Amino acid sequence: MPRSLFDKVWDAHVVEELPGGNALVFMDLIVAHEITTPPGAIAIERDFDDRLYDPRRIVAMIDHVSPAKDSATALQGQTVRNWAKRQGIVFHDIGDNGICHVIVPERGYIGPGMTACCGDSHTCTLGAFGAFALGIGTTAQAGAMLAGCLILQRPKVMRVEVTGELQAGATAKDLALTVIATIGFRGGTGYVLEYTGSAIRALTMEQRMTLCNMAIEAGATTGMIAADATTAAYLAATPNTPAFSLDVQADPDAEYAKTVTIDGSAVRPMVSWGTNPGECSPIDGIVPFDAPAESLAYMDLKPGRAMATIAIDQAFIGSCTNSRISDLRAAAEVFRGRKVTVPTIVTPGSQVVRRQAEREGLHDIFQDAGALWTHSSCGPCLGMSMGVLAPGMRCVSSSNRNFPGRMGDGGRVHLAAPVVVAASAILGRIASPAELPAVRETVLA
Amino acid sequence: MIVEGSVLPVRRANVDTDQIIPARYLTRIDADGMGEHLFEGMPDGPHLLAQHPGASIVVAAENFGCGSSREHAAWALLGRGFKAVIAPSFARIFEENAYTNALVPIVVPAAVAEELMSAQHIVIDVAAETLRADGGEPVSFSLDPLRKQFVLGGGFLQFLNAKIPEIRSWEAAR
Repeated sequence: MPRSLFDKVWDAHVVEELPGGNALVFMDLIVAHEITTPPGAIAIERDFDDRLYDPRRIVAMIDHVSPAKDSATALQGQTVRNWAKRQGIVFHDIGDNGICHVIVPERGYIGPGMTACCGDSHTCTLGAFGAFALGIGTTAQAGAMLAGCLILQRPKVMRVEVTGELQAGATAKDLALTVIATIGFRGGTGYVLEYTGSAIRALTMEQRMTLCNMAIEAGATTGMIAADATTAAYLAATPNTPAFSLDVQADPDAEYAKTVTIDGSAVRPMVSWGTNPGECSPIDGIVPFDAPAESLAYMDLKPGRAMATIAIDQAFIGSCTNSRISDLRAAAEVFRGRKVTVPTIVTPGSQVVRRQAEREGLHDIFQDAGALWTHSSCGPCLGMSMGVLAPGMRCVSSSNRNFPGRMGDGGRVHLAAPVVVAASAILGRIASPAELPAVRETVLA
Repeated sequence: MIVEGSVLPVRRANVDTDQIIPARYLTRIDADGMGEHLFEGMPDGPHLLAQHPGASIVVAAENFGCGSSREHAAWALLGRGFKAVIAPSFARIFEENAYTNALVPIVVPAAVAEELMSAQHIVIDVAAETLRADGGEPVSFSLDPLRKQFVLGGGFLQFLNAKIPEIRSWEAAR
């Protein structure tokens, strides 16, 4: 029987079928960070003599709050740090770390055909490599650390075919938001999204990661993109290139529970107006007239409002969605020679990204523009540190979630691509880079 | 196993786990202390809780528990005395976490959830997979047959622990 990419990866990792459509699924990689790992590690220490299935399959790091912001987060970090040390687990401490979904690919820990899990919903990012990678809870992660496996219901597979190719001005973030708006904010629940088509094949690995990162925002178990020469070239340049093959591909006649086709050439820059990532409009569009009143009340917006007239209080470029070097380069091109008019934070996704950006002088461009250039962190994306919003503050953000309170109690979030965040930071309102006046060339006397 | 109590009606759809327990409280190395911050991230959440003192069953709208994978959402509900959540649909990770922690996740049609939001008292027979609101007709639901055992008797990690020899031989033959 012809099989999808997901089917092949799943089938190769099922240890045992269990009642009720469940299966015991082997995990090749378990990613562990300081926020969600400690209670599971402590439970294993207490109830199972600190015994792990295979510490070599675990990669741990300080991820969300880096460095610790208070004693409580320091204890979280120290708990993971000590645990990794005594277990001989690879550990990325502050200075050598970053957001897990950025550093796991950049260090070459993930490859095609692998399975991976983490107590973090955006683990779906790793599906960009043709892996089956998903977010799970703390106890499920503890189970994988203890026994090497997750218990999972076999998801259905939805093929998301993106035809044509992205046009100038449209980014992977805009495609991700378009996918969510198309299939619906919960339209992916119970499915794995398998992205195919010419527009997908043309994406770089960093763009693929941005796209897969937001599969969870459609409720999907994960997103997946079959590996190809682009994947191979990326992996070959990583310090721990995994042994991999490009053989795991969907059969041409594979059947899917559902197929959705999106015209990639028609994707436009998108900005969210509501309180979930599916509630978004093209940047030159309006808040829809049928927008839910509940969302608009929270966002303090009215139907019909032109997106590009909404004034902002803060701008944020960062998060596991859009904090990689290509995101920073694109934003820097917008900032170059211009000045921000609202508080603006630029947070690289890892220390490796930070150093690369500084080698290229991007940090000077950000700082010359008046933005704050930080070290890597999850930062304000989840309202935890380094730029949390006050009630009523409105932030345009390159992150992934605009739920009520996500970036701070009562804060309002508009999701957009890094270039749109940069343009908005300059004009003080939601804005497209196309709206910016040209930078006057400096004439040397 | 019988779970019963009064209802906290959560009428908003898509209540994500940041609304159930904001990230600023995810700073502990154990599962304690979450209950006092339950629904602090949800508009009017604390007010809603104050209006329904003693409630132990959440009746929610579509897609409850979407977003972040944080198991703290289940811990916060349990820590505040909730024993079950009834909704037309759950996000995958929240539902898995609920089963693992014996917070009974019950899926019912949207119209049934809507009715249950105004119920005074709900009695849930977990083993029999039925519930009754205010002494009315029983409504049946179905639980995941494997995970139901973790609700009834716990033992999620023990279940996996017992599978290790089989997993090791699978891996050796891989």
